[in-house]
Amino acid sequence: MAALSTEFGDLVQIKKQLISIISQCRERGLVHSVKWASELAFALDPLPVNEHPPPPDLTEEDAEDFDALCLAKSYFDLKEYDRAAYFLRGCRSKKAYFLYMYSRYLSGEKKKDDETVDSLGPLEKGQVRNEALRELRVELSKKHNAGELDGFALYLYGVVLRKLDLLKEAVDIFVAATHALPLHWGAWLELCNLVTNIEMLKSLSLPECWVRDFFLAQMYTELQMITEALQKYQSLIEAGFSKSTYIISQIAVAYHNIRDIDQALALFNELREQDPFRIENMDTFSNLLYVRSMKPELSYLAHNLVEIDKYRVETCCVIGNYYSLRAQHEKAALYFQRALKLNPRCLGAWTLMGHEYMEMKNTSAAIQAYRHAIEVNKRDYRAWYGLGQTYEILKMPFYSLYYYRKAHHLRPNDSRMLVALGECYEKLNQHVEAKKCYWRAYSVGDVERMALLKLAKLHEQLHESDDAAQYYIIYIKDIFSCGEQLEHAEVGTALRYLGYYYFKKGMYDESSFCAQRCCDYNDARDAGKALLMQISAMREQGDASPQEMSTPGVFTPLSNNAATPIRRVSPLDLSSVTP
Amino acid sequence: MASVHESLYFNPMMTNGVVHANIFGIKDWVTPYKISVLALLYEMIHAEPMALLERRRLNKLILPLQQGPDLSLKQFLMVVELCCPETSFELRCRLSQMADGELKDMEHFFSTLPNPFSDSEVCKTSVVGLFVRHMLLAYNKLSFSQVFKLYKSLQQYYNKDRWPSPSAGPQPELPSSVNEDMELTGAEDTSVNRADGMDREEPDAGPLHHSELCGHDTTGPLSQKQAEYFFARQAYLLKNDENKAMTPAILQNELNNILKFNPDFAEAHYLSYLNSMRVQDIYIATHSLLHYFDRLILSVGEGKSNGDEGYGRSLRYAILNLATLHCRFGHYQQADLALQEAIRIAQESNDHVCLQHCLSWLYTVERMRGSDSLVLTEDSVKMASHFALPYLASLGIQSLVQQGATQGVTANKLLDAMRSTDMVHWKQSLSELIEISLAQTTSIWRMYGKSTMAWQQAQLLLNMNSLEPVNFGVQQNNTEAFAVALCHLAELHAEQGLYGAVSDIMTHLKQQFPPHTQHAKLWMLCDLKIQFERAMNDGKYHLAEPHITAIAALNTTEGLYRKALLLKALNQTSEASKILQRLQHLCEKKKSTEMIIRVLLATAELHWDSCGFATALPLLLQALTLSRQHNLQSLASETVLHLAFTQLMLGTPEPALALLEDVLESILAHGSFMDKGRALLLMARCQVALAGCAAEEDRLAALEEAVETLHEATFYFSRLDCNERLRDVYYLQARLHHALGHSAQRNKFAMLFRLLDQELPLSGATVMTHI
Repeated sequence: MAALSTEFGDLVQIKKQLISIISQCRERGLVHSVKWASELAFALDPLPVNEHPPPPDLTEEDAEDFDALCLAKSYFDLKEYDRAAYFLRGCRSKKAYFLYMYSRYLSGEKKKDDETVDSLGPLEKGQVRNEALRELRVELSKKHNAGELDGFALYLYGVVLRKLDLLKEAVDIFVAATHALPLHWGAWLELCNLVTNIEMLKSLSLPECWVRDFFLAQMYTELQMITEALQKYQSLIEAGFSKSTYIISQIAVAYHNIRDIDQALALFNELREQDPFRIENMDTFSNLLYVRSMKPELSYLAHNLVEIDKYRVETCCVIGNYYSLRAQHEKAALYFQRALKLNPRCLGAWTLMGHEYMEMKNTSAAIQAYRHAIEVNKRDYRAWYGLGQTYEILKMPFYSLYYYRKAHHLRPNDSRMLVALGECYEKLNQHVEAKKCYWRAYSVGDVERMALLKLAKLHEQLHESDDAAQYYIIYIKDIFSCGEQLEHAEVGTALRYLGYYYFKKGMYDESSFCAQRCCDYNDARDAGKALLMQISAMREQGDASPQEMSTPGVFTPLSNNAATPIRRVSPLDLSSVTP
Repeated sequence: MASVHESLYFNPMMTNGVVHANIFGIKDWVTPYKISVLALLYEMIHAEPMALLERRRLNKLILPLQQGPDLSLKQFLMVVELCCPETSFELRCRLSQMADGELKDMEHFFSTLPNPFSDSEVCKTSVVGLFVRHMLLAYNKLSFSQVFKLYKSLQQYYNKDRWPSPSAGPQPELPSSVNEDMELTGAEDTSVNRADGMDREEPDAGPLHHSELCGHDTTGPLSQKQAEYFFARQAYLLKNDENKAMTPAILQNELNNILKFNPDFAEAHYLSYLNSMRVQDIYIATHSLLHYFDRLILSVGEGKSNGDEGYGRSLRYAILNLATLHCRFGHYQQADLALQEAIRIAQESNDHVCLQHCLSWLYTVERMRGSDSLVLTEDSVKMASHFALPYLASLGIQSLVQQGATQGVTANKLLDAMRSTDMVHWKQSLSELIEISLAQTTSIWRMYGKSTMAWQQAQLLLNMNSLEPVNFGVQQNNTEAFAVALCHLAELHAEQGLYGAVSDIMTHLKQQFPPHTQHAKLWMLCDLKIQFERAMNDGKYHLAEPHITAIAALNTTEGLYRKALLLKALNQTSEASKILQRLQHLCEKKKSTEMIIRVLLATAELHWDSCGFATALPLLLQALTLSRQHNLQSLASETVLHLAFTQLMLGTPEPALALLEDVLESILAHGSFMDKGRALLLMARCQVALAGCAAEEDRLAALEEAVETLHEATFYFSRLDCNERLRDVYYLQARLHHALGHSAQRNKFAMLFRLLDQELPLSGATVMTHI
């Protein structure tokens, strides 16, 4: 962190850099990079007038191309890419060259999208391609070999390579681009999409620049290394970017990924206060609201977003979530479909649509939706998990094992996959594996707090009463220590079992304590009362038993048993949990 | 930024979350190739009356052209030219007129096509009529931009395989990008070829049927039909003749390519599963298999009217397939779990056919696990015949036969069962099972020690023409059955000392089943065994030693047995006996009778080495009982040989000779050269031993007889290069001739003996403690 603080020491310098990159990117039509840099710049204090960086000097070439560039840029902004490229074809300055190539690239992309709609038949569906890519690649590679590409052109070259599926070459070029122009966020973001694992990340030689910390934080989030990512973001905030909406949203997303719902909700609320017309990341926010079943908030969010822009993917996802929460699954699926029409590569919508179809019991459509999600991103653990669930509903636990395993592989520390795996194993009568899964789920921090209960029940089924009792005790402690009220908590069940367990062991005090606690819960009240009566009956007999020691009694073995030190379970200490 | 560059592939065919591959319900789409076929039809209708023969040829061509995969223009014209050169010329002119002209030329062409509402030569409901109507319908549905695109692709199609133009029309300029492409491919790595493969000229112009798709030049995206043809062909080859299929790496590449262009080809995933099974890659295999069924569930659900039924069905088969996958990788517990699940689902939905399949896999798994599955198999056969599933029924019977053979069911029962199933196979033309059945019969005959019958069955299989429709009449498939038969043939030849033939067969096997293929292990083991035997016969033990490790890698018990044999030959008796004991234990657990008998014989031989002839007797008798019980004739006669030898050594040559004479006939008829030689040598020794106590004149006659017998034995041993035994034979012959007073002969054999004796290392054991 030492390096970080020295680098971030000069916020004024950073601000200046940002201002200059903003103007550079804007001249080249790289709107998203401009947005990112501007957001960051906005978060820093404004510069005094004399500190503002002067506009860069014009070279002779720039001056020559100035008029053509202005004209072309105006066409470019109007999305007339071919026209822009035509007027730039003779220009020699680097700026004009980039804009020339970029227009050609975008023109190809636009045509490709248009073509897709009226292709000649299904077999051509996947064949539509950007015809400009190959020519661009030839020209750019020639220039690259001659070493004539600047940072922006390298970035474009990388994008072209990635589109041609030459991923390895693309990574090299993007790394070169970040070295040439470290402030250009677009190149970093592309790199982020291409890096698939931590080893690969470590093997890259990245430039020493403050942007790198942003990149690493983003990368850690992508690779599900949330603690590292949060650390990075925290240090960035401390370095002076505390007002940046970008960082706040990223942290919120990170919290969402580790299921820290409260933190994430708080951050999103803060974000909405600072930036009320923001649409980005609002789908994540709605997911959180959905998980918490906060209907009014979700409804408010949905209405608000519809007012801002109803034809955005995020808006559609929010509305989908809203309908889903209201159990109107057909409408929800419709809105997710709309989101997919707006952007078919929108991963979350595929998965959510799968969930909706699951709710509607349309398993085949659900499978298709999940498969699409996986096609878009192989690392989408929710889609794998969803597939597993679908097959489990179809009563094919063995089949779903594969999918759960995949999901678990992607999120090794997520208890839900482990619990699901455990359930499958339990259904397959693989008790050893099931126990391992449940215990592991508890060890990695069980979010739903179901693993221990299931583990205890499994032991109960297998008549391993000592183990079962032990896990019930841990379960009860766990439930009470987390403080919040859970709907599905089965403390009553646990207490009832413990009551009978102690009763059988002849430990009447513990048993009656459990039975009394049982009476606090609706589902176990009757059992608790019955047990109390049994205990009192037994005590009456038990008081008498010392005198009748000589006579063979039915309960003597029981009391003997209680005195022996073989029991492993310590008496229940519930003093701290008394409400 | 990312979202700008995202390939925004919008799918207009998606409704209700399900992609419909075919929104109009039209299977055919107009492609440049289809236009060429239409032009051909047009020519055939409008051309002047042509010769009858040519017309007939063209008529025969129409159907394959209509239904086959898209051809390049060059291939198409060549095919037509073979039938009728004039039509081909006309066709070329017409196409060039369209391609070099303008859009209106193509539109004009379509408007001149026989219209269903006008009277024309084309019957509306004929195959041709339907095709033309389909095409017209599809063409009329196209939007303006689609029509223009079609025209562009027609131009491209025409220019790609530009025939030396007879019409001398103006040569259109090649677009400048093509030149650059050429430059690029020259300068850059091969990955570029894939990227620009679409426009690349395809160099091959082979004949129509096997050319373009078996070749490795399918760089561009395949059309649906082409892809289907490709899948069908590769899958067939994988099953029947792996050697001719693409290599795993190339095939996988090709599949990935196809999937990239059209991710909806579910079959590609299945082929990928088969392909990764070849290379034993469980990771990709599982992945592809599950992916295939995920996709299949959808396509079945939408395709059939009884959607739910089809959907559930594919679910059942999905889990069954998963079970087979685990079974093939040897994960029997996993396979068992999957099978149970499949059975449960099938039971719930009353799918008896699926249940039957499950049952037949269940007994396979049980058997592979090494437990007894006889009852299950019998049940399976009964049920399968009840539900009229001949394939499963005879598969079950074949597996029963296999189990029965090892468990000593009488031969007539087994062969009867085989014959009755064979009848079913031929009736239903289940060619795969016919092959298996023949190979199995070969194995059974060989196990019984009837080499001639085995020989005949193997030849029958190898000379059988293929019955598969895909390469009908081609002499041979490369299935496992063929590998088995060939291996048997090689071993049979080796037994007769025909090593030249053996090496020929081995080269053939190596060619047909390269080492990386599934069935290569069969011939590897067979080859090693033969080499080991040769080295042992030759007395070159140092050569035999490395083979043992290799054999053990392929088959542990066999490896152990061979190791014991080698140790015995090297006189390391205690080690050998330890290994044999272990082996016997192992085999008794596995119930492999053949090996048990072999082990008993080897142990008996060990006893001989320590002169414990009497102790060897009970072992040999046990072996004899076992081999008689299981009808193992060759092993039985070998045991009798051993018994006779023991008796000889115990000093009772008369019963020994009687025993020998009993089995001599069958040995001479069916036995290997080694057995024949050994039997004759033993007989000569018995004769000599008996002659010792006979009267003088009888003695000489008996000795003469023994000389004759030895002479015959020499022939067999020399064919096998079995020098050690030859030396013994020469020694005996020299002695006999000496006794008979033939000094010249005696000297000759003495010299031969001496030559061999110098060559061979001194054998430590006293002469003749082995047969």
